[in-house]
Amino acid sequence: MAIERGTPRGTPVGWAPPVPRGANSTGRPRVASRRVNRYRAQRVVADVLTYFGLLVALLFFLGPFFWILTTSLKGNEDFFAFPPVWIPADPSLAHYVALFTRSSGARYFTNSLVISTLSMFAALVVSLPTAYAIARWRFGGGFLSTFLLVLRMLPAIALIIPIYIMYKMFGMTNSYLGLVVVYTVLYVPFAVWLLVGFLREFPVEIEEAAMIDGCSRLRALVQVIVPIIAPGMAVVALFAFIATWNEFLFAVVLTGIETKTMMVLVTSFTSGGTDMFYGEASASVVLGVLPAFAVAFVLQRYLVKGLALGGTKG
Amino acid sequence: MRLAAFAMKRKQWEPFAFASPSLVLIGLIIVFPLAYSFWLSLHDFDLSVGPDYNFVGAKNYIEAVFRDPRFLGSVWNTAVIIAPSLVAELLLGLGLALLLSRVARGRPIITALLAIPAMVSPVMAAMAWRMMFGVKFGAINNLGRQLGLIDLYFDWFGSTGMAILTVVLVETWHNTPFMMLVLLAGIQSIPQELYDAAKADGATPWQGFWSITLPLLKFTMAVGVMIRLIDLTKLFGLIFVLTYGGPGSSTETVAFTTYLAGFKDFRMSYAAALSYVIVGGVLVLTLLFMWIQRLREARA
Repeated sequence: MAIERGTPRGTPVGWAPPVPRGANSTGRPRVASRRVNRYRAQRVVADVLTYFGLLVALLFFLGPFFWILTTSLKGNEDFFAFPPVWIPADPSLAHYVALFTRSSGARYFTNSLVISTLSMFAALVVSLPTAYAIARWRFGGGFLSTFLLVLRMLPAIALIIPIYIMYKMFGMTNSYLGLVVVYTVLYVPFAVWLLVGFLREFPVEIEEAAMIDGCSRLRALVQVIVPIIAPGMAVVALFAFIATWNEFLFAVVLTGIETKTMMVLVTSFTSGGTDMFYGEASASVVLGVLPAFAVAFVLQRYLVKGLALGGTKG
Repeated sequence: MRLAAFAMKRKQWEPFAFASPSLVLIGLIIVFPLAYSFWLSLHDFDLSVGPDYNFVGAKNYIEAVFRDPRFLGSVWNTAVIIAPSLVAELLLGLGLALLLSRVARGRPIITALLAIPAMVSPVMAAMAWRMMFGVKFGAINNLGRQLGLIDLYFDWFGSTGMAILTVVLVETWHNTPFMMLVLLAGIQSIPQELYDAAKADGATPWQGFWSITLPLLKFTMAVGVMIRLIDLTKLFGLIFVLTYGGPGSSTETVAFTTYLAGFKDFRMSYAAALSYVIVGGVLVLTLLFMWIQRLREARA
């Protein structure tokens, strides 16, 4: 898979400087050096434009977060001020306090944390043996992997109606368990997919050595393989955490007053039209996007793989 | 001898034992509900009427596909939202990926920063933008007034056209980073030698882009667009928070209309039928996606 590259990592792809100064091979020094100068000028202009473009992009993509953060720290009088207050003169945490007390934000934040953490661990525990079966025995052949891909594409809306009726019958709505079970299962296809990749890279010899020494296969998996592929599993776990943290459709349908998650809490602020409780609403958005910020930095290298397979979509 | 036989047997049941936990769960929480939902879609189970139901055959499907202007309208709305979003995400994503590929210093950190919108929940993205578009306290109206661009507060969700435009804008903001990451990976896998060779032959950077980058990026772009297309058919949380389908039902997507049929009108059977129509559409798109992927693997 790896493509041999002629340039080291980090070298810009496209148009590298053509000829280093003083080292031209054309045998026509004057013309070449003039050309070099022109290329250098072009490069400087191109670099400036590149960084300028990226700066504009950063403003566009991060501006809303900045505005939400400052809004959550403003006093109520700042909302009405004109000219508008962009950065509050005396930032306060009053809206966070109000969110945690008046709107039971503490409870819903805890709900989100508990549900995401439980689903994350459950998804790993359930997926690992399956991934192992696929990686070592080619269990299910091409059918199983196609099946998992189809499951990943399956719209959640097709599941919510039957699951809602089933949960109503068994009294599983408004419970942690109900939501954790759904999130775990929804995450299995993605987790299996990633874990198979990690397991395939794992040298069979090591676990065979462990099994010759009298280790059972399951024990070899847990005690020999898991510690070594732990970094990979952490990636899967963090994506699982984000996905369940972000999930909305099942949360809004299956939770009741006690088990609401942050995603459901946020929607309760929209009832005031477009000019709602800005303070508490913005504070809840800040708390709601916190994990995404943390994980984006931790998982830099894995973002493409994770996002492409739907890692953050519940 | 006995030991060998046992080993054989063990080999046969072990894969099943290892795979069973997730397969059982998938069966219980995905496969069975889907089957139950199909059974449901052939009846007239309506919680707003009562717990009784009768077999009605394909009636729900016929109503959905031929007689329900709201659902058909939502199919149209979904298409109207998807088309410009995909174009904007592809073009912006490609532009950003090209810019990032030129950057030698600080690329990982800039990439991570730009990727953040794709990591947040659609609900949170929509909420942030809903506040940005707020009539009196929103950042956009305030900025517009401060710069003298608008005199009066402007209602961004007042008309159908503006509402769709804001949905497209937020969706583009939310998922362009995904496209950027996919395309950046694609660009980085193009061997530098190709550019060097083109340069030696006297090609301009522009020619290099048209004859090397674009052709080699074609399949990556197709895969990225297909993934976004399939995910966009599920657009729900963003609509729920940003417009709640309004004004009227002009921004209701298929997933949102199905949600309303099920959990506002409580027409469970009808909602199940609607969801199966959606699954049919997504299945076609998924097959298309797998075909493209196979094509790419064949070329690679």
